[in-house]
Amino acid sequence: MRRRSIVLNSLIGVAALAASALIGGASSQAASDGGMAPFDPAHAGGTIKLVANAAAGSLDPKINYTGQYWELYQASYDGLLGFRYGDGKASFQVVPDLATALPVMSNGGKTLTFTLRSGIKFSNGQPVTVADVKASFERIFKVSSPTAGSFYNGIVGATACLAKPATCKLDQGVVVDAKTNKIVINLTAPDETIISKLAVPHAVINPASSPAKDAGTTPIPTTGAYMFKSYDPNKSLIMVRNPYFKEWSHDAQPSGYPDQIEYQFGVTPTAQVTAVENNQANWVYDPIPSDRLNEIGTKYATQVHVNPLTAMWYLPMNVNIAPFNNVKARQAVNYAIDRAAMVKIFGGSQLAAPVCSFLPPNFPGHVDYCGYTKGATPDKPAKAWSAPDLELAKKLVKDSGTAGQAVGIVVSDDDVNKQMGVYLQSVLNSIGYKATVKPISGNIQFTYIQNTKNKVQISVTQWYQDYPAASDFLNVLLGCASFTPNSDSSINMAGYCNKSFDAQMSKAMSLGLTDPTAANKLWGQLDQQVMKDAPVAVAFTPKQLDFISSGTKNYHFSLQYKMFVDQLQTK
Amino acid sequence: MISFIARRFSAMIFVLVSISILVFLIFFATPGVDPAARIAGRNADQQTLMQVRHSFELDKPLPIRYLSMMRHLFVARDLTSYVNRGAKVLPQLSQAIPATFSLVIGAAIIWLLFGLIFGVLAASSKKKWLDPTISFLGIVGVSLPVFWLGEVVNLLTQSKLHGSVFRWVPPLGYVGLSVDPWQWFLHLLLPWMTLAVLYAGIYVRVLRSEILVVMSEDYIKTERAKGASEKRILYKHATRMSLITIVSLFGLDFGALVGGYALLTEVVFGIQGVGKLTFDSLQNFDLPVIMATVMYASFFVVFMNAVVDVLYAVLDPRVRRA
Repeated sequence: MRRRSIVLNSLIGVAALAASALIGGASSQAASDGGMAPFDPAHAGGTIKLVANAAAGSLDPKINYTGQYWELYQASYDGLLGFRYGDGKASFQVVPDLATALPVMSNGGKTLTFTLRSGIKFSNGQPVTVADVKASFERIFKVSSPTAGSFYNGIVGATACLAKPATCKLDQGVVVDAKTNKIVINLTAPDETIISKLAVPHAVINPASSPAKDAGTTPIPTTGAYMFKSYDPNKSLIMVRNPYFKEWSHDAQPSGYPDQIEYQFGVTPTAQVTAVENNQANWVYDPIPSDRLNEIGTKYATQVHVNPLTAMWYLPMNVNIAPFNNVKARQAVNYAIDRAAMVKIFGGSQLAAPVCSFLPPNFPGHVDYCGYTKGATPDKPAKAWSAPDLELAKKLVKDSGTAGQAVGIVVSDDDVNKQMGVYLQSVLNSIGYKATVKPISGNIQFTYIQNTKNKVQISVTQWYQDYPAASDFLNVLLGCASFTPNSDSSINMAGYCNKSFDAQMSKAMSLGLTDPTAANKLWGQLDQQVMKDAPVAVAFTPKQLDFISSGTKNYHFSLQYKMFVDQLQTK
Repeated sequence: MISFIARRFSAMIFVLVSISILVFLIFFATPGVDPAARIAGRNADQQTLMQVRHSFELDKPLPIRYLSMMRHLFVARDLTSYVNRGAKVLPQLSQAIPATFSLVIGAAIIWLLFGLIFGVLAASSKKKWLDPTISFLGIVGVSLPVFWLGEVVNLLTQSKLHGSVFRWVPPLGYVGLSVDPWQWFLHLLLPWMTLAVLYAGIYVRVLRSEILVVMSEDYIKTERAKGASEKRILYKHATRMSLITIVSLFGLDFGALVGGYALLTEVVFGIQGVGKLTFDSLQNFDLPVIMATVMYASFFVVFMNAVVDVLYAVLDPRVRRA
């Protein structure tokens, strides 16, 4: 997953934030195993006001693919499975939601059997039936959901549905029985991540009567604690309590506290901060502007929460054109970049941490290692990154025979990314290249750098997890299947396709079905192995800074969907 | 006369069509702008990408795409955004127009009021210090960039002094006149004043110099010779004559502001007007919205120009033959 515009940038606010970061999550109460404390009616009521610069597009849960709305969907929509309401690693746990239990796996992992809970109603009063479940899976294809071909292509019948969405039928793939409430999902091949894929919003259950096209701004009935009352992307999004909701699983869909959740759009980031300081709003969506970090870190320190994100900022290098078709040139970049300097540009050590590993800290399969730091090599990595090694980088460039070549660095045109670009330019120049920075609009940079037609050599971009599985990083970003020349949708920006690495990833994925621990160990090895080839240079892992108003209590953070909006209390 | 009007208005249609074609071509000539992948979503499968491309008619040749967009905009009136999928463009525009009108009309009343009072005062005052002081303040008003002034106003009223003097100031944003007239007034008061500062400065200076020019005209001397009072000369003759300039200036400024020039004020104060809509759509590369707002703004400008031309023709027969 990818986040939208980044305007965070500060050197001033850092010291102040250092103190406030410590209190992250301090005001929250949690059950001992990381779950939510039982619902307390005494704190229910009131309105939570959220402010953002812009809306995040279609409200259709099968279409929307932004962290901004996924954060709201967890309180409104439900799939057969869902991510747990809880703090820290507990939030990565998949729990039964509309299904009574986790699926029974049979047929070598190709058949998943669920039982639908009975007695649950949609927010329009209709009961949730197995027919709705089947229709919801077909709707993924009918509306051309962004992940239809990447997450759900393994369902039997999906191939035909992808080719002809209008007539999509999953009679073999999703078999339901209205009498017993049984649902059987058949896959063409076992998939170790299917549990997570069934828990994300694109797999939620909507009424069978939902339109067979993107519903856009028209809300679709929900099953969760809240429903959407109105949506105008230029003004506001309003959520109210779902009158038909009764808590059936405290872990998957607990009762929420506010009576209403209002998202106001069109507020500049600096005005958002002011609104929260004045108690006119409860929470700021956009990154805090650099000139406000100092004041919120000092005067409002108790209202700041900093949490790690399972994400990375990285530099894909095009392995198919000069100079980065030479492995030494790519390794040179890895040695040369000062990750601490890039962290500083991003906002300082409280908002990010330097890393060299592909899998971010806290993520399945992550191993603490760095092959590209002073005194280390990819074969003999250090525990962590400490300093760049410019001498070695210069030598590698010289040995590669690419010295003196022109390199274009394509970055988004916001302040932070432009500064990153200028910094990289100075680094590349110092190791022997003739670098230029090419800033382009943040809205098209992400698709621009994917298309081989644009001949991008190196760029700066980010990747945020979709679900907690190593394959969501390694296989999605570096697999052969993710590389499509001449297409704007070719997420493997480095154009890296290594058949033997692909085969090993397949092995790790099938191992995940039977032995997740061993599989994650293998992923950790694959991470180190692929970084020897250095198709990318990983720079740092960012953190999430949430700023809430003084009267807002019960802040909880999910590694999967970020803040639990519906658990905030104003009373 | 009728043929002149017909010619003038057909020229107006031609200009509008040309503008729309230009906007369309410039958009698709931008490198990397193809909206299909952005609409389809991150890491979309190639088949999904194709479906999206097909459903948004992006696989058709440019002229067909252009005609289809014009049909959706003007005939079917159901053009939808590329970014906020499913959001129809025309309702967005029609909802933004009242906010912009509220902002511009309120600001216009303030700047006309200030412009007139201080313009006349500066031109007529016997006190030696008054004229340079007003002129100086006018210059200051003209020189203050509206986005800077707006941010300073926000800093004081929303942040630094919000706890004391400015406790009454509501949060940024816009409340419809029909929703709550008092809140509408409160929300717009500071934006009005901010936007009016620049124009008040201009109008004070223009009116002052116009009055001084008129005061030296022969017919004023005649009036004085006839024994009319200075007050009557100033108000009945000099100011009234000078207002002609002000009125034509006002027509142009008002048209431009309604067409989207109030953008900076709208962005700073979070008012969801036409300017902000244009700004957001340009940032998002949202062609349908860009097209609608550009057509709306150019319609205002071109239409006002056509009306002025026709009025000139009414006044001056020589124009009709040109």
